Amino acid sequence: MTRRLRVGLVSCAHVHAPGLARTIASLPQTELAGIYDEEPARCGPMLAELRATFDPGIALHDLPALLERSDAVVIASTNADHRRYTEAAAAAGVHVLSEKPLATTLADGRAMIEACRSAGVQLGTAFPVRSSAAVLSLKDAIDSGRMGRILAARCTNPGRYPGGWFGDPAKAGGGAVMDHTVHVADLLRWLLGDEVERVEAEVGSFHWGLPVDDTGILLLDLAGGAFASIDCSWSRPRTYPTWGGLTLHVVGEQATIDVDVFRQALTHHDDAASETRLVGWGDDLNRLMIGGFADAILEGRPVPISGEDGLRALEVALAAYRSSAERRPVAIADL
Amino acid sequence: MTMRVGVIGSGFAGSTHARACVGIDGVQVVAIAAATHEEAAPLARECGARATASAEDLYNDPTIDLIVVASPTYLHVTHATAAAQAGKHVFCEKPLARTLKEADAIVGACERAKVTLGVGHVVRFFPEYRQAKALLDAGALGRPGLATFTRGTFPVGKTRGWYMEEQRSGRVILDLMLHDLDTARWWFGEPDLVHARTVGGTGGLDYALATLRYRDRPIVHLEASWAEHAGFRTSFEVRGERGMLSHDSRASAPLQIQAPPVEGLPAVMPATTTHETPYRAQLRSFFDSLAAGREPVVGAREGYNSLALGLAVARAARERDVVEWKAPA
Repeated sequence: MTRRLRVGLVSCAHVHAPGLARTIASLPQTELAGIYDEEPARCGPMLAELRATFDPGIALHDLPALLERSDAVVIASTNADHRRYTEAAAAAGVHVLSEKPLATTLADGRAMIEACRSAGVQLGTAFPVRSSAAVLSLKDAIDSGRMGRILAARCTNPGRYPGGWFGDPAKAGGGAVMDHTVHVADLLRWLLGDEVERVEAEVGSFHWGLPVDDTGILLLDLAGGAFASIDCSWSRPRTYPTWGGLTLHVVGEQATIDVDVFRQALTHHDDAASETRLVGWGDDLNRLMIGGFADAILEGRPVPISGEDGLRALEVALAAYRSSAERRPVAIADL
Repeated sequence: MTMRVGVIGSGFAGSTHARACVGIDGVQVVAIAAATHEEAAPLARECGARATASAEDLYNDPTIDLIVVASPTYLHVTHATAAAQAGKHVFCEKPLARTLKEADAIVGACERAKVTLGVGHVVRFFPEYRQAKALLDAGALGRPGLATFTRGTFPVGKTRGWYMEEQRSGRVILDLMLHDLDTARWWFGEPDLVHARTVGGTGGLDYALATLRYRDRPIVHLEASWAEHAGFRTSFEVRGERGMLSHDSRASAPLQIQAPPVEGLPAVMPATTTHETPYRAQLRSFFDSLAAGREPVVGAREGYNSLALGLAVARAARERDVVEWKAPA
């Protein structure tokens, strides 16, 4: 084993933050350089939880000090804060892996890409589902030509309202459409080697009493002629046995393939908690994603999922909001 | 008094409806018409009816009270108007017709002849869809915000060429998605906006996606596929303010048969296994409404509006644009 990549975690705001910290601390090629959060109170419970299983190291409430100790940072802040943390990291010569969506506006996303480019550091976007073995098998089937030409796809990424700032338009930049569209938009671009050209969408806020949307159905036209839909809704009720899921139903001229990324789960009927829940046993996708990011940095290769990839996915979400508001198809080129 | 029935068509729809009639009290299938006598004969024998290559035989038979039109979609207008003009009640397989102009002709002919028109939107008689409707009506979910429907089967164009001809069938939108468009109307009423895309590939494959927007709520998303190589499947989800209903035919099949594959085996048909099939329940309901002089559950207006919505979906897909919708009838 050569050098390990020192990775800092910036912000505990995101629901994924504890898992990300645990992953960084346990991967063979990374070490947790520390955790920064501008609201120490928010960080406290997470640190206590982490300390139950391992020592998360120094919790720093001083961003420059964390950047000093880090080769790269994972940014798990609110969506609206991705830009300023990325710019701070880039200025300190630190690589960045940003949670999705990359930003809440195109201007912010472009500024992040430019900041990293001019500082000579890499910017990655956190799309863990590309790492799923089932999704990779689908990609292999498409690339091999066994499915024939890909005609259409119906994709879902339903979930629950994650809580907290995810319902705050200023911090999240939107609701379910902002939160979940980007995962599937990225998968479609990557799987088909194509770009989304136009978006039609219907968006609503029906189920959680939020000032942001919780329901969205998108229809996408890809440049190569295929079309797809995305159900990105926070449609899963509190009593649903898991947080949500991600499915891809891909129709090719020669074959139809269904992928249900999180289907690998036990059903736990738990009398003690009076609930039934699914307990996943599949691969840890965050671990594969951060490992792939770290390997690329350590070996001096481009990171597997770039800031540009994040920006392309963000464009689809933003086009969906505009289409729904204006009741017309919106071309990505016209954003 | 016995209701004497003639059936036009001996394909999937014709044989399903003829078999569904057999065993309903007070109903007798007396004749099966198909393009040739040979095509009609096996089904006729099975139902204890006579076979004929001439639909006119049925119109001209004064003992026939009702004609089931189960011919290919583009022929519905010919058979249904002639049956009505001969004074027969008409039960027409969905879609009511290929175009609204043809549907106007059928509805007009039935009105003038004072016969009753029923349209075969059989999903209204599938118990899982009826149960969901009952729960929705009871307010189990509160106001629905999102509903999704999928419906798929193998590439049917491989078996019968007319399915793949736009002018004859309206393809997967009018033939398959129409079931769920009708269900959306049945559950939620008339939508305001329509979005859609469709693609037809080689090998009898056809596929469509559509979204319906109701002014306030819900948003409805529909998938119809003739690319479901594993066989027939339906599913739906409805999410409301207080919870969600979901259905998947593959997960709710109480009986699954495994056997070595057989060449030319037809599509695996609906998993619903109940003592009365939805097809028989549909016809029994129609006969009951005739006997009682009531408007049928799916009569002219319902069949007409569902066809119109299907045509709006086809237009949205053709124009790749948002289409505003207003129910015509």
